[in-house]
Amino acid sequence: MEQLYIDLENYLGIGTDSVPEVVRLAIAVLVLGTIFLLAPILTIWVERKVAARFQNRIGPNRTGPYGLLQSFADVLKLIGKEQIMPAHADRIPFLFAPLLMVVSVIMITAVIPLMPNYIGADLSIGALYFVAIGSLSTIAVVMAGWGSNNKYALLGAFRTVAQLISYEIPLVFSLLVPVLFAGTMSMVGITQAQADLDYWYIFLAPASFLIFLFSNLAEIGRTPFDLLEAESELVAGYQIEYSAMPWGMFMLSEFLHAFLIGPLVAVLFLGGWDGPFAEDVPVLGVVYLVIKSMAVYFLGMWMRATLPRFRIDQLMEFNWKFLVPLSIANLLIASFLWELFPEPAGGGLVDNFPRFIVMGGSSLFTLMVGLEFLRRKSVEDRERIARLIDEKNYPLATADQTGVAGD
Amino acid sequence: MELTWELVAFLGFAVMTLGSGLMVVTSSNLFHSVLFLMTSLFGVAGLFVLLVAPFLAAIQVLVYIGAIAVLMLFVIMLTRQVMSRPELYNQQMAGALVAAAILFLALLFVLTPLADEIGGDVAQVNAEVIAEADDAPDVDYITVEELGRAFVTRNGFVLPFEVTSILLTAAMIGAIVVAREDEA
Amino acid sequence: MVKTRENISTKPFSEWEGSIDELKGLVSDKAMTGESMLLNMGPQHPSTHGVLRVVLELEGEEIVTAIPDVGYLHTGIEKNMEAKTYEKSIVMTDRTDYLNPMGNGLVYNLAIEKIINLEVPERAQIIRVILTELTRINSHLVWLGIHGLDLGVTSTMTYCFREREILLDLFELVSGQRMMSTYFRPGGLWRDVPEEFEGAVQFILNIFPQKIDDYEALLTRNPVFIDRTQGIGFMSAEEALAYGLSGPTLRASGINFDIRKVQPYSGYENYDFDVPVGEHGDVYDRYLLRMEEMRQSLRIVEQGLKKLKPGPFRSDNRKYVPPPRAELGRSMEAVIHHFKLWTEGFRPPVGEVYQVIEGPRGELGCYLVSDGSPYPWRVHFRDPSFVHIGALQHMAKNHFLADLVAIIGSIDIVLGGCDR
Repeated sequence: MEQLYIDLENYLGIGTDSVPEVVRLAIAVLVLGTIFLLAPILTIWVERKVAARFQNRIGPNRTGPYGLLQSFADVLKLIGKEQIMPAHADRIPFLFAPLLMVVSVIMITAVIPLMPNYIGADLSIGALYFVAIGSLSTIAVVMAGWGSNNKYALLGAFRTVAQLISYEIPLVFSLLVPVLFAGTMSMVGITQAQADLDYWYIFLAPASFLIFLFSNLAEIGRTPFDLLEAESELVAGYQIEYSAMPWGMFMLSEFLHAFLIGPLVAVLFLGGWDGPFAEDVPVLGVVYLVIKSMAVYFLGMWMRATLPRFRIDQLMEFNWKFLVPLSIANLLIASFLWELFPEPAGGGLVDNFPRFIVMGGSSLFTLMVGLEFLRRKSVEDRERIARLIDEKNYPLATADQTGVAGD
Repeated sequence: MELTWELVAFLGFAVMTLGSGLMVVTSSNLFHSVLFLMTSLFGVAGLFVLLVAPFLAAIQVLVYIGAIAVLMLFVIMLTRQVMSRPELYNQQMAGALVAAAILFLALLFVLTPLADEIGGDVAQVNAEVIAEADDAPDVDYITVEELGRAFVTRNGFVLPFEVTSILLTAAMIGAIVVAREDEA
Repeated sequence: MVKTRENISTKPFSEWEGSIDELKGLVSDKAMTGESMLLNMGPQHPSTHGVLRVVLELEGEEIVTAIPDVGYLHTGIEKNMEAKTYEKSIVMTDRTDYLNPMGNGLVYNLAIEKIINLEVPERAQIIRVILTELTRINSHLVWLGIHGLDLGVTSTMTYCFREREILLDLFELVSGQRMMSTYFRPGGLWRDVPEEFEGAVQFILNIFPQKIDDYEALLTRNPVFIDRTQGIGFMSAEEALAYGLSGPTLRASGINFDIRKVQPYSGYENYDFDVPVGEHGDVYDRYLLRMEEMRQSLRIVEQGLKKLKPGPFRSDNRKYVPPPRAELGRSMEAVIHHFKLWTEGFRPPVGEVYQVIEGPRGELGCYLVSDGSPYPWRVHFRDPSFVHIGALQHMAKNHFLADLVAIIGSIDIVLGGCDR
């Protein structure tokens, strides 16, 4: 943050001492926040274009060159729209929810190291901070769902609470693996540790990477985890009653959050700004970070275009019966191996090769075992359902309350 | 007293904590009460930050606001008849006042000897802490490592920690047993 | 007294005028006291396929009762047809089940032909079969796209609509209209197919098998899709029969009943095709079955194209079928017939008929009563969508809200057909 401001001053030619510290920090926060707030405008365009290509469409192409100005046009339209509040809405939660949502997402940007020395706040608990702040958006969703005085919104809020609280657990467990490797929770520390090592943690802990990615996708509610606003079931879930800019704020925070998953995954598992010459030319760090983030973002878009949506009980089962045990096992194995195979003196790629094999291999093995369990379980489930149907006593379509879906 | 930014922030967080704490008990809408409780807890997290205990602040936000208070909201939405608003209000002000008075007296009873022990010169202690903080502003007074060690060393909190764990596990199992429907 | 702004009672329209007592007896007592949630799904809801309204009683997210409420798209088509001559009301049939215009036209024309005992030339029969089967594919494509959308796969919709466009172009080629084709007439067709027809159909035959494989690659073995559809909306064979289901929804429950085989019409007995039958009667089986039906339809179209020989495209019975344009200049008789047909219409003998065909959704029937006048005395369509919605309550019971969406998608309802 300081660095950002000092660089700004040098660029603009203002003396450092003439401005009090608080004002300097405020300016730096403003600049950083604005950069991240403007990012969704571009990523929405990217998302639209990529989704369009996946779906055999063209995407926005009328507003500005290649439709680049489409998002600006949308925002302008949203600002001009009337904000409607439903009858008997709970005013304060209804109006505060979009605000809280945006704030909770923007606060995450504070702990993302953009390039060497560039970070909003190098908290010693950066990784934990991200998880803690991420949980704030749950409240916003509940407030929106409650305040709207709409049953669909309420159902969306129910789902959200169940989903977000559950998926925080594998999220934290998989987050602990890079924290363990780096020996620090500071995001700068984690990036620096990977930069010093010449390899990224994804090679040591591919399973953690995947668990972290999936639980993050669930946290932000993207397909196949988009149950919070499942449009074919709950119409728009918690945002059903929102219009104009409050709705736009929900959308903004959603896209910003989705985009921020990229840098976070990149920092924790892909070395953040690490790359050739990044230490000497810091600007390259931003480029690397953006490339890595977009690669992660692309994965999300790909899944979004391909996969159907889970059902709420399947979502829960996937979390509690698969992701949570897997992430715990993964954490245990990773910490044991980390102690058993201490880092060799050289620290280079060649010296570390056996470690790669053992740690990455065991991580992948854990993942495979988990997936095999999952496969057997689902095959078993399907056979059970088929058998019940064949025996014509499938409980779902009978009058009593018990059912496969309920247990 | 010199008006520093820290003081302004402290006053802000203190007002936030106490004010919304007051709103928790005076608000007649249960849902609003929990929202105010969240605000109050957030203020406490801010106070933790000012005390240079960021870990505690993050845990405060994560556990108290992100999990417990949200679960409270969840329970309210599930157990009350959600679409009938009158259910949300109650008239148990008198009982609450009595309970609060008893709690206050109990706290007074427990804390007064402690205050005597410290010696009453709280202001001086505070001044020392602030002076120290000014000298080395980047030092974490409670680092995560220290906290972790405190939980597992024999001289630290290993016994309370383990006892709490067992208690919580037992409570969880109990809750599941109670909540579980009979599969007859 | 003049009504002014002041003395008109204004009521905020947010106040619900009805009362919950309307639902008494339909939902459980718990819902009446507010213990379980009553949720109004539709008529404006993204996944009720138009304007179906389902009143749901929810216990958490689990459905206790689902009460379908139809009629929001009622347009009085059947009644309207009574005021038009037989030939003029063909245009209205397209608008009932708007995804199956050719099939609606076919069943109505078959009913007219049955009541007046009119022969249809073979070329017309074959073209009718080709076009109806292509309409079936068209309908299934829309179904698949929307079904995917219901389950959250956004991409199927665009893929299916891409292929559907080819079919719609073909319909435009033959009839001049993409959707509301009104192409079949009593005794044959409106006009002969253009020269490009065979090439266009051949093009469809060339590319569609690959496309259907592509859709299957996206969904059939997709674990999330399987989880969402297997064991959902189960109907046993007995239940399916009891509820009067038909078409793919019935066959998915394991009953081999296809009107094209049981009561062949338009020469279906001359085609070699298989009728896929499911075994579990759930949403997944209905999906698999429709995918296979598309392939079988392509088989029928292929055979039809081979059989297609030049010849008359409509009957030469001048009492019911207008003469060709060229004849009008030569024959006075033709002019008279033409004049009579276009001013008064034809008069079928007194009687009543019921004609069924296998529509994309199931058994599509047309009940026609003639009193000897140029106007039908009564026209009634037995639309499978209406019957299938009746089984919704049974299928949705004890499922999740999300499953209801899958079930509504799987029975493939078209509210235009249901409400008429």
